Amino acid sequence: MLPRLLFIVFCLFVTNPLWAATAPDIDDQTRAIAQELRCVVCQNLSVADSPSEMAQQMRGIIRQQLSAGKNPQQIKDFFVSKYGEWVLLAPTTRGFSLLVWVLPFVVLIAGFTSSLWFIRRWSAKKREDKGAIADSELLTRVRSEAASDKTLDLDPEDSSPRAQLLQERDRLYAELKELQFDFQAGKLAASDYATLKLEIENKAAGVLQQLDSLLSRHPPASQSVGHQSSDKKSSSNEMRKTFRGWQLATGGVLLLLFGLTLGIALTNSVRPRESTQDSMTGDFLTGTAGSESAQFLQQGKSAFAKQDWPKAIEAFKQALAVDPNLPEAHAYMGFILIQAGHADEALLAFEKALVVAPNLPMALWGKGMTLYQGKQDYAGAKQAFEKLLQIIPAGAERVEVEKILAEMSQGGQKPRQQPETGTPPTSANQQIAGRISIDPKFKANVDGQATLFIIARPSDAAKGPPLAVKKIDRPVFPLSYSLGPENVMMQGVPFTGTIAITARLDKDGNPATRQPGDLTGDYKGNPAAVGSKNIDIVLDQVVQ
Amino acid sequence: MAWRRLLITVLLIAPVLWLLAFGFTRDARYITSPLLAKEAAPFTVTLFDGRKISLNDLRGKAVFLNFWASWCTPCRAEAKDLEAAWQQVKDKNMVFLGVALQDTEKDSRAFLQEFNVSYPNGRDETGKIAVDYGVWGIPESFFIDPQGRITYKHVGGIRVALVNAKLEEAARSIVSAKEGKEDYQPIR
Repeated sequence: MLPRLLFIVFCLFVTNPLWAATAPDIDDQTRAIAQELRCVVCQNLSVADSPSEMAQQMRGIIRQQLSAGKNPQQIKDFFVSKYGEWVLLAPTTRGFSLLVWVLPFVVLIAGFTSSLWFIRRWSAKKREDKGAIADSELLTRVRSEAASDKTLDLDPEDSSPRAQLLQERDRLYAELKELQFDFQAGKLAASDYATLKLEIENKAAGVLQQLDSLLSRHPPASQSVGHQSSDKKSSSNEMRKTFRGWQLATGGVLLLLFGLTLGIALTNSVRPRESTQDSMTGDFLTGTAGSESAQFLQQGKSAFAKQDWPKAIEAFKQALAVDPNLPEAHAYMGFILIQAGHADEALLAFEKALVVAPNLPMALWGKGMTLYQGKQDYAGAKQAFEKLLQIIPAGAERVEVEKILAEMSQGGQKPRQQPETGTPPTSANQQIAGRISIDPKFKANVDGQATLFIIARPSDAAKGPPLAVKKIDRPVFPLSYSLGPENVMMQGVPFTGTIAITARLDKDGNPATRQPGDLTGDYKGNPAAVGSKNIDIVLDQVVQ
Repeated sequence: MAWRRLLITVLLIAPVLWLLAFGFTRDARYITSPLLAKEAAPFTVTLFDGRKISLNDLRGKAVFLNFWASWCTPCRAEAKDLEAAWQQVKDKNMVFLGVALQDTEKDSRAFLQEFNVSYPNGRDETGKIAVDYGVWGIPESFFIDPQGRITYKHVGGIRVALVNAKLEEAARSIVSAKEGKEDYQPIR
């Protein structure tokens, strides 16, 4: 009994504290290692900080390997062997990665050294300008040269350092003479004269010193300044000026390029965060999305979510203007059109989206719903929904699609709800439907940006305002259409009886004008009775 | 003197421009795998039919290893292609092996049933196999030669023709120079 009790006491007071002491250690170690590893499915988050499933699994592996006796370096090496050095939040100090560590210090040191150099240069120049007291020999030379009227015939166009110094020297000599004249005229006090004179003499001595050192470094080919070599000089001046111009132009172009690169790259690669999970860096130049069109698309989506239809339409149109093959924009336009009760146009929009992206779930969903609810085309709807089922994963959306398909297969085939069109639903016998195609000989003349108007007039009124009009932007031929009470121009006017149907492919999109080049066509059996199908029109006339 | 100044300016600006171009032209999410031409990490996985399969058991055959999940859209898009490819090579000395990750057993089974997948499939419950293969976006496919060496990696959906071509290369131990990329979905 006693040994058993002792064993329990041992377990409680000895092993438990031991366990308690090691457990946090493993946790701490796991966290420390995880903090040095990059979460492979996040952006700029460590494995320790990421809430993702992958990061949790990676933390589990770290813990497992620590328990198996591996040290932190071995564990990090393991992840590097799987994901490369990318997985390390702090790059290694070997190979190319060494640059990341060294470069900032190199730049810092270079910046510091060049700053020091510039400061020293500037202060030295300032000292020279202020003029230290020159030696007496130079001062004597200045006084004698200033007293004599000896000046050189300098070329005013010459901008060489020597010529500039000579000009400065002559200017200072002239200043000395002027000062002396002022003093003699009694305009200056003796003490002021002495101070100013010494200051100018010192400056002139400084200039002489610079001239001497320049002469010792670059002795002139000819001592005489001017006429003999003036041609040569002026040509070298021209060259220097041209070169300076080129220098300025090159610098300007480089600066412009730098600015443009920065401007374009930054504006296109940064965007407002859409959610807390989202990053502010876009996909510019990474090949994953367009830039401008993506921005318009995003604006459209935001407006769509707020049910701000005009803004959404505008944004999606702009997105399509930038990239006419943007399937998402077409699909969203489709949803807006179905909201507005334009089933045909909506269908067209979904078809356009599906041409580019045959597996776009939202376009398949939109097409299916439009065919199911808007057009009562159950076979077509079923086809779209079945294709959608192959793509979408399990979830609420999938359940919804399955429900609709089940409803359709149960024979009810009636929409569970009327489309949210805002207009009363129309039955097939209140509509005129058919196809519109283009005469093959005019196919080459079709303007991709044109607008199609399908116009219905009462059979007894060849002129005057039409009874109903349908507008389809940028149509793709051949297309199916239907015209019904929802297209009537004046509310309350019945869409009944016999109606003459015409169509016009209008270049400027203005229903009131007919321009040369517009394509028109009539239903050959005009007038048609409301409720008729197969009212097919071929656009076979050109407006002259 | 002036030339020297111009040269210094260009030398200062060029690295900055190069750095910008380098940074902006790459997909920050893309992780280049160091596993190409390396030995494939051994693993054992329990298949959905209850059998166990080990990579070591498949030595001597060209192996197509595919990581997928039922919630991954590109995986759904490629599912039929993979089954079609399997039907074309199943009588050759080649093996297909699917590994579902970050998925429930029920959803995985439903996926296999939906696409009539007939090649062996198992589930990586802990994520250990996925990490061993450096998986970060699915679907991800690996081609392993009869000696157990990875010859090609493909991130994203893959088509029948490419599967067949790369399997033929794997059977002859031809290692591709770089990995392939299509539409993918980051894992969770």
